[in-house]
Amino acid sequence: MGYLWQETRQAFPLIFDGKSGIGGLLWVTLRVALISTSAALVIGLPIGLAIGLGRFRGRRVLQLLANASLALPSVVVGVAVLMLLLPQAQFGSLRWEFTIKGVYVAQTILALPFIVALTPAAIQGLPPGLIAQARTLGADRLQLSALALREAKIGVLAAVIAAFGAAISEVGAVIIVGGNFEGRDQTLGSALLAQFNYYGNVPAMIAIGLVLLAAILLLMGLLTVLQQRGGGIHLRFRTS
Amino acid sequence: MSFIWNELRDAVPLIVHGNPQLWQIIWFTLEVAAIATAAATVLGVPIGLAIGLGRFRGRGVAHALANASLALPPVVVGVFLYILFLPRAPLGSVQLIWTKQVVFIAQTILALPFTVALTAAAVQALPPGLLGQARLLGAGRLQISLLALREARIGVMAGIIAALGTALSEVAAVAILGGNIYGYNQTLASASLYEVNGGHYADALAIAIVLIAMILILMCGLGVLQHQGNGVRMRFRTAT
Repeated sequence: MGYLWQETRQAFPLIFDGKSGIGGLLWVTLRVALISTSAALVIGLPIGLAIGLGRFRGRRVLQLLANASLALPSVVVGVAVLMLLLPQAQFGSLRWEFTIKGVYVAQTILALPFIVALTPAAIQGLPPGLIAQARTLGADRLQLSALALREAKIGVLAAVIAAFGAAISEVGAVIIVGGNFEGRDQTLGSALLAQFNYYGNVPAMIAIGLVLLAAILLLMGLLTVLQQRGGGIHLRFRTS
Repeated sequence: MSFIWNELRDAVPLIVHGNPQLWQIIWFTLEVAAIATAAATVLGVPIGLAIGLGRFRGRGVAHALANASLALPPVVVGVFLYILFLPRAPLGSVQLIWTKQVVFIAQTILALPFTVALTAAAVQALPPGLLGQARLLGAGRLQISLLALREARIGVMAGIIAALGTALSEVAAVAILGGNIYGYNQTLASASLYEVNGGHYADALAIAIVLIAMILILMCGLGVLQHQGNGVRMRFRTAT
């Protein structure tokens, strides 16, 4: 145990030392996670609602595809996005390869499946009569969506939490699309991998890992409080 | 278009006879997915039920922790376990680094949060009266758990599906702990990363295509099962 303790003790000064660059890494990580989760929410929520509420042909198939895309490997997304962004490819003129913009795109694609797949799952978990009743009473699409969102909000927030989790913790696509350049598009996760692969400095690895875990714990905790509070209001509303 | 097209055209023959180890990699990937998903289900569903149904102190905290662990970064899991297994560290005497077993362990740890958190969320989203009623009628813990599992099975299945997805597609912990050893403990995802790192984009793409195909088949299979369950339930409901 002495060994671990020693290394961990050396890690703490690194966390609070401005020169170690961990603050910058944290900032990039937060930016990537927030931007890609928001983008995924804006794009994914309407799709998720359509799959959950719609009554069109092929809805089942779409739901299955959405579920399957939950397993979209970050490495595959990384390779695909990079190949589209390379100078000789379609989007090469954007010059987004090996930049943080490419990383935003890749992480949004990785966060999207969670919103698209978990929103319909939450809506389908609602009491069967609810949506049908609203429909019979003449609710239009927008009203139905608002009702479904309100009633299924614990599940929808779970989807947001999962999307955020993927965006903040995945590294496969970040290293491939971003190129893992120090100080430019390195997140805490990809910096940790670089530290492991090239430097092997155990206290630095522990420091980066702890900061990443702390950030995740804090943000996910906040989101969960939000989710549970929503649940509380919902219950009170019901019993009154 | 021609760049991507060329790479794709190079990739397709590679799938068939490019990589002599391909079958071994496919087999190992399936093995990892099966073991990790099964272990995560057996361990995680009971924990999720306890968090979702239990009325103990600290349940909110447990739920928040479960949600936060959804974002457990594979890199951090990989590096921290690696540090624990270093020769001088507490687990140094256990020879697990660069073995197949460590890959199973890593993927189980990464899959577990999905079964725990999504089971808890699914159970919580059940109509509030249902479980209270069962409790009042004198149902024991086991009976309430079974009732909750049956009613929330779409959500619980979603958790298992997400766990399978993680086991199939995560790569960072596998690469760090397993060493990404060609022909021994490479999964499709880590083999793809291996090829990208070597600059062999066509090979990476070939492996990625196989991986995506496998994910589609497995996830859709489970998805059909998930909805079949729903269909049976609806029929059962309307019949009584």
